Amino acid sequence: MLRVSQEDIVRLDGVRKHYGETAALDGVSLRIGAGEAVAVMGPSGCGKSTLLNMIAGLDRPTGGTVVVAGEDLGRLDETGLALFRRRHIGMIFQFFNLIDDLPALDNVALPAQLTGVPARQARRRALELLDELGIAGRKDAYPAVLSGGERQRVAVARALMNRPALLLADEPTGALDSRFGEQVMDLLIDLNQIGQTLLIVTHDPQLATRCAGRLVELADGRVARESALERAE
Amino acid sequence: MNSWPNTGPGTGVGTRWGMGMGAVWRAARAAVLRRRLQTVVTGLVVLCGTTTIMLTLGLLDAATTPFDRAFDEQRGAHAVASFDIAKVSKEALAATARRPGVEAAAGPFEQVVVSFPRTTDIPEAEGPLKLVGRADPGGPVDRVHPLHGRWARAPGEIVLNLRDAGRPLRPGMLGSRLLAPGVPPLTVVGLAAGMSQSADAWVTPAQAAALRPSGVQMLYRFDSASTEQDVRAGLDSVTAELPGGALSVAQSHLELRRAFSASADAYLPFMTLFGVLGLLVAVLMVANVVSGAVVSGGRHIGVLKAVGFTPSQVVAVYLTMVSVPAAAGCVTGTLLGNVLAGPVLNTAFQGVESGSAGIGISPWVSVVCLAGMPLVVAAAALVPALRAHRLPAARALSAGGAGSAPLRGRGLGVQRLLGGSRLPRPVSLGLGQPFARPGRTAMTMAAVVLGVVTVTLTTGLTSTMIAFAEAEASPVPQVGVRAGRPVFQQTAPKLDDARIEALLRSLPGATHVTAKVFVDVHLSGHAQRSAVNFQRGDPSALASQVVEGRWPAGPGEVAAPPSFLVQRGLAVGDRITLELDGRRVPALIVGQIMSGDPRFLWSTWATLTALAPGTGADHYEVRLAAGADADAYAAAVRAAGPGLHPSIVRPDTRAAATVVGVASVFTTLLIVVASLGVFNTVLLNTRERRRDLGMLKSIGMTPRQVTIMMVTSMAALGVAGGLIGIPGGMAAHRLIVDNVGVVVFPESMKDIWDAPLLVLPALSGVLIAVLGALVPARSAARLTIAAVLHNE
Ligand SMILES: Nc1ncnc2c1ncn2[C@@H]1O[C@H](COP(=O)(O)OP(=O)(O)OP(=O)(O)O)[C@@H](O)[C@H]1O
Ligand SMILES: [Mg+2]
Repeated sequence: MLRVSQEDIVRLDGVRKHYGETAALDGVSLRIGAGEAVAVMGPSGCGKSTLLNMIAGLDRPTGGTVVVAGEDLGRLDETGLALFRRRHIGMIFQFFNLIDDLPALDNVALPAQLTGVPARQARRRALELLDELGIAGRKDAYPAVLSGGERQRVAVARALMNRPALLLADEPTGALDSRFGEQVMDLLIDLNQIGQTLLIVTHDPQLATRCAGRLVELADGRVARESALERAE
Repeated sequence: MNSWPNTGPGTGVGTRWGMGMGAVWRAARAAVLRRRLQTVVTGLVVLCGTTTIMLTLGLLDAATTPFDRAFDEQRGAHAVASFDIAKVSKEALAATARRPGVEAAAGPFEQVVVSFPRTTDIPEAEGPLKLVGRADPGGPVDRVHPLHGRWARAPGEIVLNLRDAGRPLRPGMLGSRLLAPGVPPLTVVGLAAGMSQSADAWVTPAQAAALRPSGVQMLYRFDSASTEQDVRAGLDSVTAELPGGALSVAQSHLELRRAFSASADAYLPFMTLFGVLGLLVAVLMVANVVSGAVVSGGRHIGVLKAVGFTPSQVVAVYLTMVSVPAAAGCVTGTLLGNVLAGPVLNTAFQGVESGSAGIGISPWVSVVCLAGMPLVVAAAALVPALRAHRLPAARALSAGGAGSAPLRGRGLGVQRLLGGSRLPRPVSLGLGQPFARPGRTAMTMAAVVLGVVTVTLTTGLTSTMIAFAEAEASPVPQVGVRAGRPVFQQTAPKLDDARIEALLRSLPGATHVTAKVFVDVHLSGHAQRSAVNFQRGDPSALASQVVEGRWPAGPGEVAAPPSFLVQRGLAVGDRITLELDGRRVPALIVGQIMSGDPRFLWSTWATLTALAPGTGADHYEVRLAAGADADAYAAAVRAAGPGLHPSIVRPDTRAAATVVGVASVFTTLLIVVASLGVFNTVLLNTRERRRDLGMLKSIGMTPRQVTIMMVTSMAALGVAGGLIGIPGGMAAHRLIVDNVGVVVFPESMKDIWDAPLLVLPALSGVLIAVLGALVPARSAARLTIAAVLHNE
């Protein structure tokens, strides 16, 4: 049994992930403390998304251990992983991944409702979040009519719904133009400043330097370099 | 998972082929390979659909043409003519083959009627039999179809004509010896079937000559013989140069055909019905699955257009994609249909006296399936493919489907309501799904509703037919007794009619005795032949089959089967006049019975007394007490009077077996097709919703919740489908049983629905939907979401 220090939210040891011949991850060890904001960068195909998926328990490593928020993911079954994500993980994707059939408010309320929170209560908290993110006015709109920036803010609200220990973002600004990208960046900075632990995968050095305190560079499935970042104000 | 690996022209195909068929073929092939399950389902549905259609068409074909086909195969005789041997020479008869209008002739064959007492268990070898001397079953006319054994080669050998070739050979039939007074023993060496019914049995010419023949037979085929007039004209031409009165009797093939279809008629409506239903469901399901495959490719269409496929090439990709499994399914289905046709059609035509009418599937059915199914598939694929043709690439790409993402909320109220309800979220999400995609929902519903209608209808028809067959069969043991007739060289009974009736009543076991006689009468103003069965004593078992009015009780009252009334344009309550030997008796149609021969009427003894006083009964219907021993009763009758010929009426369960057999085959096939249709729809649904499913799992939906959500959405459709399908199936059942024509079902046989009978259809909707949903739902639950989320 791995002893995990109270402050480490994420602890990876020698994590490998193979897709047939390709080694997407080839022995990655990484620690992320509570309240930290970490950026992951690297060339396309170096394994960034794979790393994120391992941490979120969306996929299982070929080798090594993944411990997140005190849970050894290797010991959890599919249902256990789902419950783990529900409690501890919020995710944001490049392409938002909202449910087209549901209006913004219900998209946000969904994670709470899955845990059995009554609809009225879930919707109240969802509205608070949308309000905080400045898009309460769009609560009844369907994803298809929202702008990219609005969709990503709905996605952020949804990720925050269950007050996750860790917020994972996979190229959150990748599909947005610079104006909407800035909005999302500011949002992430604010969140981190109120104590939210962040792991951001990005190709955008500006996003990394503005939002993160530490940079992890991946190359060919390995950690090539780790460095502290000075946050640009 | 990359969406479309190596499908574009960028892979180099484009250089050689331009953007031609090469690229289209590669894109289609990749699509087929990547959607293996869906490809398999499409193929299976087309396979089952083709098989169903094959059986259906085979059934319809066999139901309408078996007589003609077998008759033509055997070069059946348009006229079987018997000549008086004293009035015309064999040479003169042989010469008639060259008369104008005669296409072919066979004979002369000597013929003699020999009456065989009941010495064996073979009904075909009992009573007065027409024996014909023929050296050879073949020839230019009436090629008799050998079934078992061989043709007669030596005197003392006999070949029996089987009226129902489909029946299994009873052991001991071949080799049994037939004995008749004044005739040497004859050994059965063969069994054959001749559609012309030119003889009841055949012997060698030498044997026939030795039996002191009374006449000779000529078999003719005429150049034209499609109407009675044609046949009569042919016979006139034949007899023109023969001495007057040489032709004693002639039997037309048209009469045989009528007799044949009379026995088949009761079944044909049912067979036709199953056929049409099968056709409909199969075509709809194939259309559903194929168009579903095309509709679900929305996003792919965007990609293809983005890389430079022209709209027509996109259509071509989609058509190619479905035609691969469809072609495979069509060919396999045709083969399977050919294999299944034999047993299924034999079951279907069990009850029909088919002679040797080989009930098989004709080649045109295979041809139609092989040519028609691809057309159905192409048509089904073309509509959505043409929609894809028009779809702008950007819309397809951005919406992630064929423009299916709602811009404004579809079913907004419902979704909001469900989202705010107390139901667990996976359940309410599942319930909301059908409203989000009305088009897809309509397609799934169509599949489920058709499935439920099918199950309901077949359940209902089966019950009705079982009730019908049960009503036809006596619930108590029954014995028929015929009085021997000297004309058939049978000993006449010593007792008179009234004493026989009294005797039959007095023997132990008898509860009801009805004395009857058939008398040919003329119905004033109607050309068709009619015969009335006059009855005395207890009402016949038929009395329980009255569906309208009542059973005749007084003088001048008659009852008729529906076919009799329909053919003559009569109805219950109409007055008719019976004519016999110059006497006319007015009669009133007081009742209609369920079904029966179109020639027959039933009436009372009082009517007979008015029409033909002094006529006695010649057969008796005896119903015994339940559980009584019919064999013992028959033995007692035989012992009591030498001229009485009892025969035990065995309940004929073949009608019920036939319907149940055919219904089960079609129900099974149709349910398989319907379930596959639903399965396919859920599969497409799941595929379309993969990204949503991945996302739901990423925010913590457990595999169980995913399964619940998917199954709920389909179960909701199943319940809705059941609610629509059951009344639909009941209405269809009612429509059919009300309009069969030759059978009028009593209300009790039409109103067969009760709770247990409705359980199956009620469950079937949900069952079809849930079974169809479970597999894809479980695979959705296991979906590795990491890949889906990133790429789709
Ligand atoms: N489901 C999968 N099946 C097979 N190979 C995969 C799968 N997912 C990822 N890979 C491979 O693993 C490697 C790492 O992929 P990953 O998506 O983690 O890269 P990435 O760093 O996120 O790239 P990008 O910056 O383009 O998003 C790649 O070579 C990719 O092709
Ligand atoms: Mg990535």
